[in-house]
Amino acid sequence: MRTLARRLLLYLVAAWAALTVNFFLPRLMPGDPVSRMFASYQGQLEPEALAALRRTFGLTDAPLGAQYLSYLGHVARGQLGVSLTYFPAPVTEVMATGMFWTLVLAGTSVLLSFALGTLLGVVVAWRDDGRLDAWLVPALSFLGAFPYFWLAMLLLYLFGFQLSWFPLGHAYSDTLTPAWSLAFVADVLRHAALPSFTLIVATIGGWTLGMRSSMVAVLGADHVTFALAKGLSPARVMLRYAARSAILPNLTQLGMALGFVLGGALLTEMVFGYPGQGYLLLQAVRSQDYPLMQGIFLGITLAVLGANLMIDLVHFWLDPSVRRS
Amino acid sequence: MDFRSSVLLLALVIACKPTVEGSAGASGRPDQAGILRISVEQQAAWVRNFNPFMTGKYRWPTIGPIHESLYLYSTATATYEPWLATSYEWSPDRRELRFRLRPGVTWSDGVPFSARDVVFTFQLVRAHPEFDGGGVWKFLADVRASSDGEVSFELARPFVPGFANLAQFPIVPEHVWAKVADPVGFANPSPVGTGPYTEVTVFQNQIFELARNPHYWQPRRFAVERLRFPALSSNEQAMLALLRDELDWAGNFVPDVQRLFVARDPPHHGYWYPATGATVLLYANTRRAPFDDVRVRKALSMAIDRDHLTQVAMYGYTRPSDATGLSDAYASWRDPQVVAAGDWVRHDVAHAGALLDAAGYARGEGGLRRTRDGRPLRYQINVVSGWSDWVRACQLVANDLRAVGIDASVKPLDFGAWFDRLQTGDFDLSIGWSSDGATPYLFYRDLMASSTVAPPGTKSGVNWQRFASTEADELLARFEAEGEPAEQLALMHRLEAVFSASAPAIPLFPGPAWGVYNTRRFAGFPGPEHPFAVLSPNPHASYQAEYMLVLAALTPRPNEAP
Repeated sequence: MRTLARRLLLYLVAAWAALTVNFFLPRLMPGDPVSRMFASYQGQLEPEALAALRRTFGLTDAPLGAQYLSYLGHVARGQLGVSLTYFPAPVTEVMATGMFWTLVLAGTSVLLSFALGTLLGVVVAWRDDGRLDAWLVPALSFLGAFPYFWLAMLLLYLFGFQLSWFPLGHAYSDTLTPAWSLAFVADVLRHAALPSFTLIVATIGGWTLGMRSSMVAVLGADHVTFALAKGLSPARVMLRYAARSAILPNLTQLGMALGFVLGGALLTEMVFGYPGQGYLLLQAVRSQDYPLMQGIFLGITLAVLGANLMIDLVHFWLDPSVRRS
Repeated sequence: MDFRSSVLLLALVIACKPTVEGSAGASGRPDQAGILRISVEQQAAWVRNFNPFMTGKYRWPTIGPIHESLYLYSTATATYEPWLATSYEWSPDRRELRFRLRPGVTWSDGVPFSARDVVFTFQLVRAHPEFDGGGVWKFLADVRASSDGEVSFELARPFVPGFANLAQFPIVPEHVWAKVADPVGFANPSPVGTGPYTEVTVFQNQIFELARNPHYWQPRRFAVERLRFPALSSNEQAMLALLRDELDWAGNFVPDVQRLFVARDPPHHGYWYPATGATVLLYANTRRAPFDDVRVRKALSMAIDRDHLTQVAMYGYTRPSDATGLSDAYASWRDPQVVAAGDWVRHDVAHAGALLDAAGYARGEGGLRRTRDGRPLRYQINVVSGWSDWVRACQLVANDLRAVGIDASVKPLDFGAWFDRLQTGDFDLSIGWSSDGATPYLFYRDLMASSTVAPPGTKSGVNWQRFASTEADELLARFEAEGEPAEQLALMHRLEAVFSASAPAIPLFPGPAWGVYNTRRFAGFPGPEHPFAVLSPNPHASYQAEYMLVLAALTPRPNEAP
């Protein structure tokens, strides 16, 4: 329990550090949100609009220190402020829409990719004739090393534009009203299929490779030889004896990957016009929307920390040596 | 991670189930006849904001289809069309402007429209400077309703160009907005307006749809049944939608439009990119030597091969600027004599060299020109990295300048850094846009008037090169007080001559106004053959709803088999 408490304290400090960087980093960028917005109108707005916009957004010239303190206070109370790009929508509301679709798309893709990739890794390492190993692993690494943007565009062009098997963009059809109905869920799946497929193809090789190498190491260990000598079924040895200890590094990776899901899959969202968090973040950075940037970064920070905490707990359960230390 | 944050995160996750905001839901198939599908703003998700005073934050149809103005201006024909007003009249001293309002106009909730609404709108803006992005209360002194059908604006000083601001200002209903406690944070989710499309039937993150105003005052003028706006986050997304006939009208840039778009379906796909957008100029900092010398600025200008520039950097979608610097939005204001005499915008390397020699910058070692104390003329042209057309243009300009012995190079900067340097005057050469309005008044004021020159180091929205001309000041002041069209034209011609003589900045080309259409489902779009309005749905200047004239001209066609 002491270990757990120490871990929690560490997470708290990490959260504070991230919050601080969150606040200062965007403000170190040259320019300010109002000038950016003004400029996007390229001569259509009169100079008076600059002052008017500053007043609307409530941008102050207060010293950074004071702004920082009030920011910490607001965050502690769960107030993330109002987005400047999506004015006057509150940051929480803007993020909520993006977060849902990001969880649907990137979340499931990461889990699927992890499950499939890890399983493949187990099988590849277990089969000692090496034939599967010889072609599958290079093929997967080749796919993973493909420029993602290009792969996504290609698939969109082939299956979306030319063959019309899949829709060209958006998370669901414009003609439908979101509801928990079968038709709507099916429509969401149809829209998520292609982007999700590209995400899985691009990442599955990493999971397989990681699992394969740690499996190979574990397979030489005494407890595996012992289990085999005892006459246990190969499937049981493969999964319960070898894979259980070999999966730890991959699990740590999964924690990181899950945490970063909230950052959104920027390229995927851009290519497929998917309304997720990544695009929001890009837009926030482009227009120097401080509140939205802070909100999204806060979400990512908390998600990464939360996912790591979860992985820690899983480690506790899987690996007795961690519990004892 | 503390408890509150995790609760917050959990709340966020729970809150993000899809929400239905529209009342009727996404009823109706989008390809149903009469539904016009438009792409103007590029957004990943729509925010329901129809507050017409929230500059840059309201949805596109807020101005025009929902909230109308007293007059509509068409840059294509350079005329005002009476809209909520039927006529106007200036007092002889140009201190008072009266509008007679159209009788029989009602708001979309059935309440009659009157002069009180107009007065309320302008008083609201006076009380909330946040709303005065156009600066109308800089020249207004008061606004009164002389009767239910007449509004009178009292000006603090004679300011005739202010007509454009007042006549095109969106009007809101007093009986609705008077009850709004905080208008600045008010998103006007269910707008009440006098415009043709006021009823929000669908509003989702990815799509919104407006239906007809049941009380519209000219019901037969608009044949389009509904306006539908899919959220398309990028040019590429809009392109795909256009190619799949999922859009009827769009204001985005389509590269190689003839081959990629028109050729796919020549009878239906069309575009019109008139050169009516803001002029793009090369700004030379006139507070720094050698750019304080008009001969040097003109030499730079003559070194540039604008024909090549517009062909290569702009795909030939625009023309080289002439000596007035004006875009085609001001064709009727342009003085052909100034254009003919303006040799400084024509490519002439020999002349440019002679001017530089005369200014005292002779060629030295390696053909590079030097100042008298031997320093080489070496400058960077600031440009926004990633704005590919501008970057290409700057590269060509740099090449041209090197040909006359100036060691110019391109400096791509992040947008914020680029704009910061431009605004504070911390640059030698920079590319940039210019101001636009109904008349060339703003264009010249923001390039030449002493009043627009900010002290060095202070940010300035315009006149980045910090050039002031007393001659221009005087002409601008006279223009502000002049109501006679013939006199206005004469004054503008003189301003053009001052611009051409002093070259405060170096005009490169007028920006094209991007507009593409698909006539599979609607007919009547404007084009070079029938230029009643500019095709582009993007406003030319703030609150300029020329696209209303396009909307009014469209007629649905019976669905064809694809």
